[in-house]
Amino acid sequence: MVENVEAIKGASLWADAWKRLLKNRLAVFGMIVLAIMVVAVALGPPLIRWMTGITADYIPAEGELIRSFPPSSEHLMGTDEAGRDMLARVLQGGRISLMVGIISTIVSLIVGVSYGAIAGYLGGRIDNFMMRLVDIIYAIPYILIVIVLLSVFGGPNMPDWIGWLSEKLGGAGNQSLSQIFLLFFALGLVSWLTMARVVRGQILSLKNQEFVLAAKATGVSTFGIIFRHLVPNALGPVIVYATLTVPSVMLTEAFLSYLGLGVQAPYASWGSLAADGIKNIAIFPWQLIFPGVTMALTLFSLNFLGDGLRDALDPQTRKF
Amino acid sequence: MRGSRLYDLRLYLAVLAISSFLAGCTTSASGRYFGLTKPPSNNILRYITGSEPESLDPQFVTGQPEARIMMALYDGLVEYHPKTMEPIPAIAESWEINSDGTEYLFHLRRNAKFSNGDPITAKDFVYSFRRGLSPDLAARNANLAYYLKYAEAYNSASAFVKNPDGSFVQKNAGAVAETKDTDSFGADSEFHRFIDAPERLTVPSDEKGRSKLTDKDPKLKALLENKEFVPVRAEDVGIEAVDDYTIRLKLYQPAPFFLGLLPHQFFRVVHQASIEKFGKAWTKPENIVTSGAFKVARHRPYDVLNVVKDPNYWDAASVKLAGIDFYPLDEQTTMLNLYKAGKVDATYNHTIPAAWNDTVKQFTTEYSLHPEAAVDYYSLSVKKPPMDDVKVRRAFALAIDREALALFQRTKKPLVDFTPEGIFPKYEEARQKIYTELLTAQGSSMAEWKARIFDAEKARKLLGEAGFPVQQAGSGWSCPSFPVEKVSITYNTSESNQRIAEFIQAQWKQNLGITLPLKNMEFKTFLPYRSAVEYDGVVRNGWVGDYMDPFTFLNLFYSKTNDGATGWWDPKFDKMLDDANKEVDEMKRYEMLARAEFFVMQQQIIIPLATAGTSWVKKPYIKGMYPNPGTLHPWKFVYLEPDESKWTQSMDDIMKESDPVMNAQLEQLTATQEAMKKAKAAAKTAE
Amino acid sequence: MLSFILRRLLIIIPMALLVVTVTWALIRIAPGNFYSTERKLPPAVEENIKKKYGLDKPWYEQYGIMMLNIVRLDFGDSLRYPGQTVNEIIARHLPYSATIGFFAYLLALVVGLSAGIIAALKQNSLWDYGSMALAMLGLSVPNFVLGPILVLFFALGLYLVPPSRWGGVSNIILPVITLSAIYAAYIARLTRAGMLEVMRSDYIRTARAKGLDEKTVLLKHALRGGIVPVVSFTGPALAGLLAGTVVVEKVFAIPGLGNIFIQSVLNRDEPLILGIVAFLSIIIMIFNLAVDISYGFLDPRIRYE
Repeated sequence: MVENVEAIKGASLWADAWKRLLKNRLAVFGMIVLAIMVVAVALGPPLIRWMTGITADYIPAEGELIRSFPPSSEHLMGTDEAGRDMLARVLQGGRISLMVGIISTIVSLIVGVSYGAIAGYLGGRIDNFMMRLVDIIYAIPYILIVIVLLSVFGGPNMPDWIGWLSEKLGGAGNQSLSQIFLLFFALGLVSWLTMARVVRGQILSLKNQEFVLAAKATGVSTFGIIFRHLVPNALGPVIVYATLTVPSVMLTEAFLSYLGLGVQAPYASWGSLAADGIKNIAIFPWQLIFPGVTMALTLFSLNFLGDGLRDALDPQTRKF
Repeated sequence: MRGSRLYDLRLYLAVLAISSFLAGCTTSASGRYFGLTKPPSNNILRYITGSEPESLDPQFVTGQPEARIMMALYDGLVEYHPKTMEPIPAIAESWEINSDGTEYLFHLRRNAKFSNGDPITAKDFVYSFRRGLSPDLAARNANLAYYLKYAEAYNSASAFVKNPDGSFVQKNAGAVAETKDTDSFGADSEFHRFIDAPERLTVPSDEKGRSKLTDKDPKLKALLENKEFVPVRAEDVGIEAVDDYTIRLKLYQPAPFFLGLLPHQFFRVVHQASIEKFGKAWTKPENIVTSGAFKVARHRPYDVLNVVKDPNYWDAASVKLAGIDFYPLDEQTTMLNLYKAGKVDATYNHTIPAAWNDTVKQFTTEYSLHPEAAVDYYSLSVKKPPMDDVKVRRAFALAIDREALALFQRTKKPLVDFTPEGIFPKYEEARQKIYTELLTAQGSSMAEWKARIFDAEKARKLLGEAGFPVQQAGSGWSCPSFPVEKVSITYNTSESNQRIAEFIQAQWKQNLGITLPLKNMEFKTFLPYRSAVEYDGVVRNGWVGDYMDPFTFLNLFYSKTNDGATGWWDPKFDKMLDDANKEVDEMKRYEMLARAEFFVMQQQIIIPLATAGTSWVKKPYIKGMYPNPGTLHPWKFVYLEPDESKWTQSMDDIMKESDPVMNAQLEQLTATQEAMKKAKAAAKTAE
Repeated sequence: MLSFILRRLLIIIPMALLVVTVTWALIRIAPGNFYSTERKLPPAVEENIKKKYGLDKPWYEQYGIMMLNIVRLDFGDSLRYPGQTVNEIIARHLPYSATIGFFAYLLALVVGLSAGIIAALKQNSLWDYGSMALAMLGLSVPNFVLGPILVLFFALGLYLVPPSRWGGVSNIILPVITLSAIYAAYIARLTRAGMLEVMRSDYIRTARAKGLDEKTVLLKHALRGGIVPVVSFTGPALAGLLAGTVVVEKVFAIPGLGNIFIQSVLNRDEPLILGIVAFLSIIIMIFNLAVDISYGFLDPRIRYE
């Protein structure tokens, strides 16, 4: 759909935005950091494994090695209390953290955009009803939803497709990984609400414009109007908001990990690593510093990129 | 200007990193004491006791955090010894036990008073015990008192079965009448004759519960036909106020550990009049009437509970603290921060995070690591393959280097058997003897038994015998035929559980070539999952002793609904324990218990991992507070010492230290009981 | 307008009941119960507990009883803390959260507004980049990391303030700072953006052209326009702060509502969970309504009929 729209509207609008974005040095900095981060977490773990034979969940067999060592040439970021290499853990944790951010944002995009667009376009009672439903879900504490999802669908009642997904990605019977996927969807399911509101607001202001009336007059179906005409025009704020959803979901995951409900061993996320590290900050500061700084740097970059995108896509309004 | 933005960013990150590093240096072991160390000037102890107390009702609460608070607020017949946790006299000045160990006679002090000045008499204890057992209160600890005759029947709303002729059906109808105890002591009474008579049969008092029983048992159905059902009342439970200051307890079977159970908060005395007057609001600070050395001054839930010395307490003269502030806290880091900042004086057990251990343990005047009546173990689901094969179970047990595990945990000691070591020296002696005997009979030896702590070679061999051959794979091992999908390591979410599970996962991977998935659950989700044995293969488990007797551990595998969460049950084992408890001679009883332990350990239904060390800190100026096996401190012995030369010199030697203040206090307390014992012994030798 | 407000206010009641129903269902779906502990209970004891709390009745009956009580605004007694009513617990712990939240927001306003104004006035200077980078840091450092770092320095390194717990003024300094960081960052960014937008607008140009002195232009006109987005941000922010901020309360062991709520979920303390959820959902919905209304005032293009 999106490609279609680009073809019709001409490349100039997007190219303009891209040019404006490149002028924003902080946004460029953000993009570069993110690109490096993605490459590092994608290639880092296999590279480390190939070079040293160490994996993120490797606990040494020798008892005296099972303790937290400060950074050294052997372990660039030191080790955690179980003697696991922190560099490998931070990189592997980055995979999970970025996946949490991206998958949950995609879930929130799919659900939020269609929901908000339908509510905004149909208007009236349906809109009212749909938005009150959002209010209700908004008022239910997400921690309760996460606990219920993880406890009811975790374990023996795990939906098959999640098991299938984690089997493809991590091997059979990988319960921890399944739990992480469940977490992605739990987070996605609670983070689409604001997206729905943003989209609805956009659609409300767009739906009475001439191009929509014209489309209606030519007999385009409601579905077609919403998804071919309205949504592409609301894409700017949606993209901006999506870039801001990624860091907020990552922070939420970190918070859940801090409460012990997030990513579970042997996997780690930056949030869970930082949450573990914070307990030992006075003794083993490296356990906090490396995951903490990496995470902050990534969030930093995402926020910069979000700002840059907002300026680039929507030069008139400069809210936030 | 252009570069400055990036420069700024780098600067901030550098500042963040450097500041954290600097901060890291501030907690090095410098100075004699850990953080600020100054006795509080107001003589009030500030203590961290764990999470917020559920209630201030001693019969209702169950947790350790509450237990410590209840010990300050309520007094019982007996109290824990501050070092050994053996029962010492409290409101009961002395006591006697009959020869078969089913009857107890307590003589109460005449000067015991509630916090409102009302005297404490035998009737108050009778009320308190009955209240705890009442089905309406639904106390979760009620089963602690099930040893009292008809206590379980009353608590489970059962009924006696009455014949048309007015007599009652007996439990063991037709069996030979139990031998009556010869020295039935105390005054004769109608109740005593009733409670001493052969045990009556009890059945559920509602039709539905009864038919559930009779459907399975046609003989019982026939027996119950045309009978009248008389509900068991509170008045039928085996506790009797012989007179105002004498209490008689009747047990349905001998339980040599029962006296050790009585200092438990469940058996402490509460004030009937105020409970009846205020109903469920009686524990509010403005209503509450207590019986202990301290009374409630102020309660701000989740923040602080202030208790102050009660001048009405019978032993107020020997209470040295002016009060105690109990802080309800859960986060270990928060606790240690407060301790280091000099804002609290002591913490409860297991409060030193593993990471802090190396630092904190250097402060030998403050850090306690003493044996504890607690075990960590993994339960195995013995009814499901592949764990239904004892060889597989033993292979998994042998493949964990438990010494390395204990080292890794810093505060634990490895365990081969189930009852912890260093707590019951006499039992361990008996166990050594019995095990040597039984092992020799098997053609094995004690040394071989001890080697069970870790033997990867044998583990691989056993696994091969069970049909899962382990092959060499590179520098490690692999066991391709083992059904990994049928076994996982399940534990409830917590940092330390996770660390242990990860360690054990790595051990099995390295020694057997089997990588089991880890599975963790939020606590409340985990509990029913474990107790219903729904887990696959391996589940985390642990136990803290209720009283100072090995039976509190062995009891875990007793009866069909046992707490071991393995699905295992063997009536043979139950009989061994019952027989042991009927034995009056202490050493002989221990030997019988040891046989039972050997029996259950042969089945390897669990993997014992470690016994815990206390691992807590107290400021050196606190005296009279000892690292006993339950970390339960009788507060009236605790005091703050302003004179630095008299402060605790070494926590390692604290149990050997002799404190004249405490000795005098103990001597005074036990004088009557000791005199009575002596008189009895003299009478015996005279015979 | 008035009828719109009334209608929205009225609809809050059924919505809150719906929230409670969904929450109730979620609690019932979640495994585990309030009385389970590390020790297995004997069946007789479990029966007694079930009877005492009416858990032996069919679920629809239990649901009916619960809804009837809630309609009467009586959430009953906490299951975990018998003898304490839910209303009493909420009333007792709300002030802790509210105090911290109020001061944190105040601090955030002071810091955020001044940083935002300075950044806007000295656009593209080192001040601007410095304060905006700091604001970005505020948005990117989780507060469970910031809090312990502050504790380490000021409570355990310098012994200036207590590391945690409720108490005097010195106790709330660190939690207030920790909590305010992210809000200060937001406000600074909002203020800067708002001011810049206003300063480019025609009426400021007119004011300047009229020869008004720069101070008057800035403080009277630009600032007024610049803080509008801050005002609309305040609504939801205050609702969130009032509700308690779990992390800060946990890090500093403050007995606030957020802390209590997490505990109640982990304890499966059904009446307490429902009470807090109902209370918070009503507050959140009222604040949402307030935001909607304020849009009407701030932006004349939006109309409610």
